[in-house]
Amino acid sequence: MLTRGGDSSLVVDILYDKTRGRNAALTCFYFDFAAQKEQSAINVLGSLLKQMINGTGNIPDEIRRTLRDQKETAGGRRPQLVDIVKMLRLITSSQGTYMCIDALD
Amino acid sequence: MRTQASWCVGMVTPGNPRFCLARQAFLPLPRTSSTHDSQKLQLFNRGSNKQSKMSQYTIKDNTNCFNTTNSINVQNNLTISHDRPELLAWLSPLDPGLRHCDIRERRAKDVGEWFIQTGEFRRWSGLSEEGEGDKRVLFCSGNPGVGKTFIR
Repeated sequence: MLTRGGDSSLVVDILYDKTRGRNAALTCFYFDFAAQKEQSAINVLGSLLKQMINGTGNIPDEIRRTLRDQKETAGGRRPQLVDIVKMLRLITSSQGTYMCIDALD
Repeated sequence: MRTQASWCVGMVTPGNPRFCLARQAFLPLPRTSSTHDSQKLQLFNRGSNKQSKMSQYTIKDNTNCFNTTNSINVQNNLTISHDRPELLAWLSPLDPGLRHCDIRERRAKDVGEWFIQTGEFRRWSGLSEEGEGDKRVLFCSGNPGVGKTFIR
């Protein structure tokens, strides 16, 4: 236990510089007490996944398939949490990944 | 002001995402007008003939900010396939990059560097060569308003 604070936004910028041009990805999320409803687990993890996908030239085939399947054959149903976690695992398996989450509680 | 923080540090390898978690409330901020449907996204088309042409949007007044529709680590010149924006928008409506841009412009300059220099952060992030361990989570906590998100 230390007696210190931090600075989430500075960390994001520092890690951005560190990951630029390397096989590494950076994602972040800022929780907002006033936006609890829209910041559901699915939306938050979906946002992290979205940022990871944005870091790739193209959406990886397996992830594209999953998304298209759900969007088209499941009647446009949003991805379930378990699907998003699976896709996150998949896409983070090939590169170093930073995830910065502010105000987790 | 006295704050408390607890830490876990670790290294990053493929398949093991590094998490930097800040706990407890951050400084209250006015809500920005950044609803996702009004966001201006900066999209570039590299011109591959296999890709569809996309309209180009720009982030007004935020040219120094990273762009979450593109990635943070691959900022510009993405190749965009035809269904990519559609799939991504459907995946999640949230865009924390806009929040980051807002904070970045408002935070006090040259504050918080000490945190980047700490051994805990350097080891966790891999900025330090020594002691890259197997822990993947860096956890920071502190009282509300002490500047965990940023100090202005």
